[in-house]
Amino acid sequence: SKACASSEKQYIVSASESGEMCLWDVNDGRCIEFTKLACTHTGIQFYQFTVGTQREGRLLCHGHYPEILVVDATSLEVLYSLVSKISPDWISSMSIIRSHRTQEDTVVAVSVTGILKVWIVTSEISRMQDTEPIFEEESKPIYCQNCQSISFCAFTQRSLLVVCSKYWRVFDAGDYSLLCSVASENGQTWTGGDFVSADKVIVWTEDGQSFVYKLPASCLPASDSFRSDVGKVIENLNPPVLCCVVDRSDKQLLICPPVTRFFYGRRGCFHKLLTQGDSSGRLCIWSVPDTLDQQDTNEGLKMTMSTTLQEAFCRLTPCPAGIIDQLSLIPTSHEPLKVTASVYIPAHGRLVCGREDGSIVIVPATQTAIVQLLQGEHMLRRGWPPHRTLRGHRNKVTCLLYPHQISSRYDQRYLVSGGVDFSVIIWDIFSGEMKHIFCVHGGEITQLLVPPENCSARVQHCVCSVASDHSVGLLSLREKKCIMLASRHLFPIQVIKWRPSDDYLVVGCSDGSVYVWQMDTGALDRCVMGITAVEILNACDEAVPAAVDSLSHPAVNLKQAMTRRSLAALKNMAHQKLQTLATNLLASDSSDKGNLPKYSHNSLMVQAIKTNLTDPDIHVLFFDVEALIIQLLTEEASRPNTALISPENLQKASGSSDKGGSFLAGKRAAVLFQQVKETIKENIKEHLLDDDDEDEEAMRQRREESDPEYRSSKSKPLTLLEYNLTMDTAKLFMSCLHAWGLNEVLDEVCLDRLGMLKPHCSVSFGLLSRGGHMSLMLPGHDQALGKPSYSAVELIRKMSITEGLGRGTYGVSRAVTTQHLLSIISLANTLMSMTNATFIGDHMKKGPARPPRPGTPELCKVKTPAPVTRHAAQGQIKQGKI
Amino acid sequence: IIHPQVASPHLQLFNSPEEEFKWLLQEEVHTVLRQLQDILKEASHRFTLPVSGSEGPIKQENFILGSSSAEQVKGVLTLQGDALCQADINLKMPRNNQLLHFAFREDKQWKLQQIQDARNHVNQAVYLLTNRDTNYQFKTGSEVLKLMDAVMLQLTRARNRLTTPATLTLPEIAASGLTKMFTPALPADIFVNFYINLNKLCLTVYQLHVLQPSSTKVTTPTSTPSLLPEWGSQRYEVSHVHKVECVVPWLNDALVFFTVSLQLCQQLKDKISVFSGYWNYRPY
Repeated sequence: SKACASSEKQYIVSASESGEMCLWDVNDGRCIEFTKLACTHTGIQFYQFTVGTQREGRLLCHGHYPEILVVDATSLEVLYSLVSKISPDWISSMSIIRSHRTQEDTVVAVSVTGILKVWIVTSEISRMQDTEPIFEEESKPIYCQNCQSISFCAFTQRSLLVVCSKYWRVFDAGDYSLLCSVASENGQTWTGGDFVSADKVIVWTEDGQSFVYKLPASCLPASDSFRSDVGKVIENLNPPVLCCVVDRSDKQLLICPPVTRFFYGRRGCFHKLLTQGDSSGRLCIWSVPDTLDQQDTNEGLKMTMSTTLQEAFCRLTPCPAGIIDQLSLIPTSHEPLKVTASVYIPAHGRLVCGREDGSIVIVPATQTAIVQLLQGEHMLRRGWPPHRTLRGHRNKVTCLLYPHQISSRYDQRYLVSGGVDFSVIIWDIFSGEMKHIFCVHGGEITQLLVPPENCSARVQHCVCSVASDHSVGLLSLREKKCIMLASRHLFPIQVIKWRPSDDYLVVGCSDGSVYVWQMDTGALDRCVMGITAVEILNACDEAVPAAVDSLSHPAVNLKQAMTRRSLAALKNMAHQKLQTLATNLLASDSSDKGNLPKYSHNSLMVQAIKTNLTDPDIHVLFFDVEALIIQLLTEEASRPNTALISPENLQKASGSSDKGGSFLAGKRAAVLFQQVKETIKENIKEHLLDDDDEDEEAMRQRREESDPEYRSSKSKPLTLLEYNLTMDTAKLFMSCLHAWGLNEVLDEVCLDRLGMLKPHCSVSFGLLSRGGHMSLMLPGHDQALGKPSYSAVELIRKMSITEGLGRGTYGVSRAVTTQHLLSIISLANTLMSMTNATFIGDHMKKGPARPPRPGTPELCKVKTPAPVTRHAAQGQIKQGKI
Repeated sequence: IIHPQVASPHLQLFNSPEEEFKWLLQEEVHTVLRQLQDILKEASHRFTLPVSGSEGPIKQENFILGSSSAEQVKGVLTLQGDALCQADINLKMPRNNQLLHFAFREDKQWKLQQIQDARNHVNQAVYLLTNRDTNYQFKTGSEVLKLMDAVMLQLTRARNRLTTPATLTLPEIAASGLTKMFTPALPADIFVNFYINLNKLCLTVYQLHVLQPSSTKVTTPTSTPSLLPEWGSQRYEVSHVHKVECVVPWLNDALVFFTVSLQLCQQLKDKISVFSGYWNYRPY
């Protein structure tokens, strides 16, 4: 529902089946507020009341509970409820009536048992602090089963339209007496309706057809014969006349009924709009004229506008690319092979992608991102970036796991993949060898997991595989055999939990049942349902912190005991968990902060997401600017010979980074440079003392073989390689965020002297907001599509590809812009501070070794001015944007 | 190779997976849906058992809770659909062996929200199924999966409402008006609560004990409902909790019906999913 009346604040509220509610700012995709209630809403309506100068937004919610909850539209707090005294039951639909005559706003609702209820809500203002429920003013059975919608006639202020699945009826709003009733024909099912004008109603069906009816005189308050039919048997009522059919032009197969709404705008050129959205991603709009002429009556109303997400995507040039599309082209098809599963290995900077043909590709993430997003000489190279392909699965790869990343007890060579062909394969990522194939499941592999630390030694070297035949396997990577297979589950597996202390594997199924398996013997310990099942699952959650910290055992037990005591406490816990989870998501960033020197590559994270099971993976790149800066400075400080290497790298980095397709920069707001600098000083000290991490970099040798630059640098310490990854990340980041097209001179400097690369098309950004909620911009967000569905996006501008590529990123949302500016300024400052001391003389050494880049020759000549330019650039950016 | 014509009606053979899938969508799905409808209608019917025949007011049933002589609490509850229309509670006070008796006031009923919710969820599931009668042609597997998901969601919820006891916290009971329904009025230190746990109708009686205002005993708000740190001006502590219960046969039936239907739904989903390779890309 919409959640704010003013046009400046375009807020909407969303509610999920699990009872979560989120308040969103439509302009920049920020989640402003979120909450979780124990109940499920099926309908929300926004209501604003004004008394004097005071305006308050309220959300009226109804759902699987017998009240109407009144929720504050800014805090999402439940203020009070509208309660029924007489036969309370779920509310199936409601409508808010604003009466101009009585200055009394009422809520009219129909319960699932067909009882009409009326509450008066205007008096609310005087009882703002009051949390007592309001009881209904009126309760009258109107015998409407399966009520789909109820609407009040805004034109006559005198009648109500109630649409049920098999008939619709008009009632007098004064005494709720029946005025007319129309049954559906040919087994059609009505899903809603509204008044189009004083004498016409529009009613729509489950298949997306809408019908405009002219009401008989007995339904029109203006007519003499109004209410002349009251009291008659339904069959004897005067029937309304069907005057127009509104139908979808394409009869595409839909997997569920479309959603139709009628909007009556008092302003603007479109007065009356019928809109419809469906499961194929299509949005249709019909303008409903006040007077229907003969043509409309005969041929049906013409659609005013229609668009789909698919069409919008197809119109994009260049087409948004997948992360490894350049490696997935097949000669026989226009479409590249779909990526069906992926995992990012931050320690190596590698992205592993499983594809629909069963092959697995390993590529350096920054390199492949640069290819997809940025223009440069790499566009001419075939087979770039260097990659490795693993072949073994006979059909689509469904999941990938790199166990060493989750726990260091696993061999770092091992990569595990699962496929549609029921098999799980262990790979050696360094040699590219297939180590073992497990064929133990009778269904597609759906998940691969790692058991927790304190399992038995045998289980510790296993991975856990879940398959669509509802079975779970423990596959030992060391013994190369399946040590336990838990099948017999009747329902799909939803969650796997562990009780290492009891040697239990706990399987939660989608029907709420829980199976407890003994890992050692493979015996089914018990199978439970209901509240006990919930308790067992929760108890496993409690045990997780215990696994991490054995000192916390007493606290854990206390918590468990409390959890068992009551449902309320349970619910409370669930709510807290949700919040902790959300907070942790955010906090994981900050907890990383402490560890940054250790996980030296976490400045970049690649996360695959799927919008639909059959769609290919799209990838989101998360940049941690703070981590990036720390890494840059740490590396510089930890290396005595920085002077030789860094200037060149810096130039490259600041110059050539970018990537296209789906891109997200997740950054923390607090990238304030001064603060960062202080942290950095400390971190540098720590880092100097601990060099172990860099040994891991040895693995990256594989990549070097195909890269002349790396080969040339082999004699150098391994840290150098890491350095390049950091710089690549910085390059990618700076190129994506730079506001291309604002200043031609500056752009040239960036391209030629700093070696930055221009994006192919504007990059799509995203925003992490409250509670870890993330929103992603769709590609083409900056292009005017001339469609109402996009009109909510502020600042739609058509920009040519050559100019103003980056401008779009600065026009979309204030929140995103702020983040970008802070990030780009802090990173640019870091790069400058790094190079000031060591700028002269060293890129020469590396320059020739690298594949020729357009920026390189010039770079040598302009060492000193470069920092100035950066300053200038920042100055301009600041001026232009803030 | 046996031709389909040769095969008996019980053993159907298909020339191709496509053909088999077509049969599944056009025949088997409707068979299962009909079966589901029958079971769920039966389940739904359980919630509104009429006095006689198929129409009329809902039957009233008496349940005796705590029949053994050892119990300190005994109750006779009258259930009519989702409402408790009569309740007689006998409570033996442990301190003085005094026998207390309370009953619902004539004009009062207590609605068991769990039963109403479960009934509504089942009715919604039945509604979803009746909307797709034998005349409806399923064209894609995803359509069937979507329908099954919707039905299963309602059924899981219906079952969860019954299997998850709605134990209110003491402040919630105090605010609910349940305490004001009795005649003679309940003493201020006694709270009662009614709820459903699986197939059982449960009655819990809490006896409170007034804490001295000077009491140093620490009460933690997290440990509700056993502790009611403050209610009104005084602080209380729960001294005794008595729970008695009685099996409601028709709730048991309903739960069995839910479980059977959920399994039917899942089996149908599994069958459809086997063919996902075909319908993912092409509708038939």
